[in-house]
Amino acid sequence: MRSFAVLVLLIAALSTPQAYAGGAKSPPDLSGVWTTYPSRAKGPPPDPKLVAPQPTPLQLNAKYAAAYEAKRAAQRESDKRGEPLANASTECVPNGMPQMMFPIYPIEILQTHGQVTIIAEAMSQVRRVFLDQPQTKIEETPPTYFGHSVGRWEGNTLVVDTVGVKEEVLGYRDIPHSDQMRIKERFHLVSPDVLHDEVTIEDPVVLEKPWTFTFAYKRSPGYQMLEYVCDNNREYVDDKGVTRMRLQNR
Amino acid sequence: MSFWVGGVASLGLAALMAPQAASAHHSFAMFDHVNRITLAGTVTRFEWTNPHVYIELDVPDAKGGSKHYSIECASVNVLMRGGWKFTDVKKGDKVSLLVNPLKDGTAGGMLETATFADGRTLGDSNPPGGVFER
Repeated sequence: MRSFAVLVLLIAALSTPQAYAGGAKSPPDLSGVWTTYPSRAKGPPPDPKLVAPQPTPLQLNAKYAAAYEAKRAAQRESDKRGEPLANASTECVPNGMPQMMFPIYPIEILQTHGQVTIIAEAMSQVRRVFLDQPQTKIEETPPTYFGHSVGRWEGNTLVVDTVGVKEEVLGYRDIPHSDQMRIKERFHLVSPDVLHDEVTIEDPVVLEKPWTFTFAYKRSPGYQMLEYVCDNNREYVDDKGVTRMRLQNR
Repeated sequence: MSFWVGGVASLGLAALMAPQAASAHHSFAMFDHVNRITLAGTVTRFEWTNPHVYIELDVPDAKGGSKHYSIECASVNVLMRGGWKFTDVKKGDKVSLLVNPLKDGTAGGMLETATFADGRTLGDSNPPGGVFER
């Protein structure tokens, strides 16, 4: 009789429509391979409740805004001429944070004791989030591509704090940043198989106010991550900063 | 149009800026996406590498000679997800390639679709039913 009551309660719980709270397991298991959501390949339209929200307005400080806009305009003009300007990726340098989280290629999340590891298939980039550790002071954190990340679970949300990203690493949409940048991320499931990484960039030197955007991912069960070593780069940068393709005679 | 462009957060932006699907490596602006050409010839070399796969091709000309072209494909990763195998193209194969030529007029371009020696045709990226990006 008791087990029957439990069963009835269980069925009631499963059939009650409600906002997705991350499933029964807390913290949820994010381990596995994830690809961009929605997929840009042909398919059924995405669920509007699950797509990433629009970014907040980007407000660069005046000093940086002019240079940023000028660079974007130069890129557009250069593309129109068929002479795209080079950037870090043209030279096979890792994207770094936060751009490595942009899922052009799949990413893989591994949850192990005390650590969450994120691998981007593109360029085989790896970042490590150390759980329940204090963050280092910015001025004491050596500059790297992926920065120093610490995280903790707040309920079913993985909250991550990252400092120490090299200034040469361009941000999302190529925005510049200073050595004072701090990246705050909130990873949370919006359905059993759709994950959002809400990213907030704080940079008192470059930004008027923090900028928030979200990456959305869908589980890709069964996919085996491939290696990506950039060892045959035929693109090169000419003396005008334009990307060219090296031809071979045979 | 590359890693650093657009984002899932703003499909509108991605659509605005990307003449094609996104790439992990560089802009596609150096290729002519409108005036496409078909190159039929003999493979002299097939490089199954990243950031791009390359097909080196000798194309016969009207004078009994040939002109050599270097054709850039997507990455190994994207081609594998699109159903390509590293054995699909070999030196000496007769293949036909639909190509976006380099805008600067030099003998190179970016692959759009390839018809292999065995008659199969595969796209460079985003195959029908595929789920991944270039």
